[in-house]
Amino acid sequence: MKFYIKIIVRLKFQKRRALKFVSRTIPHSGGYNTPKQALGSIPVIVLFIFLTAGYAHSAGVTGGALSASSSGPVELASSSAHVPVQTAADAANPLEEEYKEDEVSDNDTGKAVGEEKAEIADPLEPVNRAMHQFNDKLYFWALKPVAQGYKAVVPEPARISVKNFFSNLGFPARFLSCLLQADFSGAATEAGRFTVNTVWGIGGLLDPSSGKELDLQMQDTDLGQTLGVWGIGQGFYIVWPVLGPSSPRDSVSIAGDYFLYPVSYIDPWYDWLGVRVWQEVNATSLRIGDYESLKNAAVDPYVAFRDAYIQYRLKAVKARKAKMMKSASEEAQSPEREPAVPKKEN
Amino acid sequence: MKKQIVLWGLLIIFILSVPAYAGVPMTTAEASVRRVLDVLKDPKLKSPAAKEIKKEKLRVIYKDMFDEVEFSKRTLARNWNNFNPAQRAEFVKLFEQILEKAYIDKILDYSNEKVNFYQENMLSGNQAEIQSKIITSSKEIPIFYRMILKDGKWKVYDVVVENVSLVQNYRTQFSDILAKNTPDQLLEILRKKVKAQ
Repeated sequence: MKFYIKIIVRLKFQKRRALKFVSRTIPHSGGYNTPKQALGSIPVIVLFIFLTAGYAHSAGVTGGALSASSSGPVELASSSAHVPVQTAADAANPLEEEYKEDEVSDNDTGKAVGEEKAEIADPLEPVNRAMHQFNDKLYFWALKPVAQGYKAVVPEPARISVKNFFSNLGFPARFLSCLLQADFSGAATEAGRFTVNTVWGIGGLLDPSSGKELDLQMQDTDLGQTLGVWGIGQGFYIVWPVLGPSSPRDSVSIAGDYFLYPVSYIDPWYDWLGVRVWQEVNATSLRIGDYESLKNAAVDPYVAFRDAYIQYRLKAVKARKAKMMKSASEEAQSPEREPAVPKKEN
Repeated sequence: MKKQIVLWGLLIIFILSVPAYAGVPMTTAEASVRRVLDVLKDPKLKSPAAKEIKKEKLRVIYKDMFDEVEFSKRTLARNWNNFNPAQRAEFVKLFEQILEKAYIDKILDYSNEKVNFYQENMLSGNQAEIQSKIITSSKEIPIFYRMILKDGKWKVYDVVVENVSLVQNYRTQFSDILAKNTPDQLLEILRKKVKAQ
């Protein structure tokens, strides 16, 4: 918005200059009474702005946020030169156009990638589909009605507190995962969060650390991601009854996270089960409707959930890896040199 | 004469040095989302009877914000080339209906959650990813819009919710179906789905 104001101001300024200039330089056509000439120069100015605006975008880009590639200027030239020609044909019928693979390659953008492939082998598909059906019924017949009743009785702030409480107990698994990923700042953040939330957040019921003052955000990581960061692939797709989508790699994390989760050590097993069910019902009560709309939107829900799971896990591991690389490169480079790098690339 | 050249030269340099047009895709996406929110918040449309009017208004914004052909094309990927123009047209229409029916109630459920646009990444000269998040009382949902510049207008061709790309998600489903079925059979599946919804 600021930018538009700038243009307008500049435009006004230029208009005034142009007025004076025109009146001074072309006296034979109108002397000092020159609104007509001034008006004549406006389209020229506007034309220039339009011509240049197309370039301006890709050339400047958004600060250091994007790692612009060297192909930037080339593409931009083509986008402003070719597009108008294409439009004439396309405007008639974009449906006639054939699909082409994206020119954006992963290599030169590095961070922000247009399309990436996330696929997983599914040799157990028939069994998995059956398990998917089972979990689906479990949700609609048991979990959802219970969660709805619970939601009707327990007000939302209380349910959020319960969620915070359980998530605070997940600290050991997240802390260890951060350490195993050599993400020491993440581990420190987690330790800080645990202390602050346990002491000041009434045993974890509140989450004061993610507020603006402290800004200690939860490190969303687990042992499965840790294995992923170490370079271990997903393997194939598994749908566990009750626990849902997983893979051999992420199943390791189900086991590991079990042992690192304090609730697992509650003694009589039925108490443990009760607490786990409560946690699950509480969590579900905060997101009733999400599963339904995802399922409704899908043409083949089984494939849709499989793909969503794989995409989600892949991006999470990628984000963790990127964080690791970043902290490694920060250690390697002196802090003064660091900010210069993105500029050079641009 | 010299002065004239100098002045025009200055003028041209002046204009060419217009600062980076940072944020056009972001402003476009944000403006559209704000328009959606305005419709949802409109006190005149609060009554249940006004639901259809709301839907109609949202449809107009959707058409303006999304490039539905690009969306469909990317979803079908290479399979798009096996569809003839008539099949493509029908596919675009059916796909749009499925999405609308699946998500409209979620959208109409909106109750003053905050929407925050915070970053723009250029993916290439004519593609950008706009990052936003919806802040509800219990969580933050990251929503990224992938946009493409066509005919001087930025339009959305993919939405990434919680790191899951919609285009990619449907692409997996459709390619799975098209591995065993013809385009006509896929269209039939979609027609049935639209009816059932």
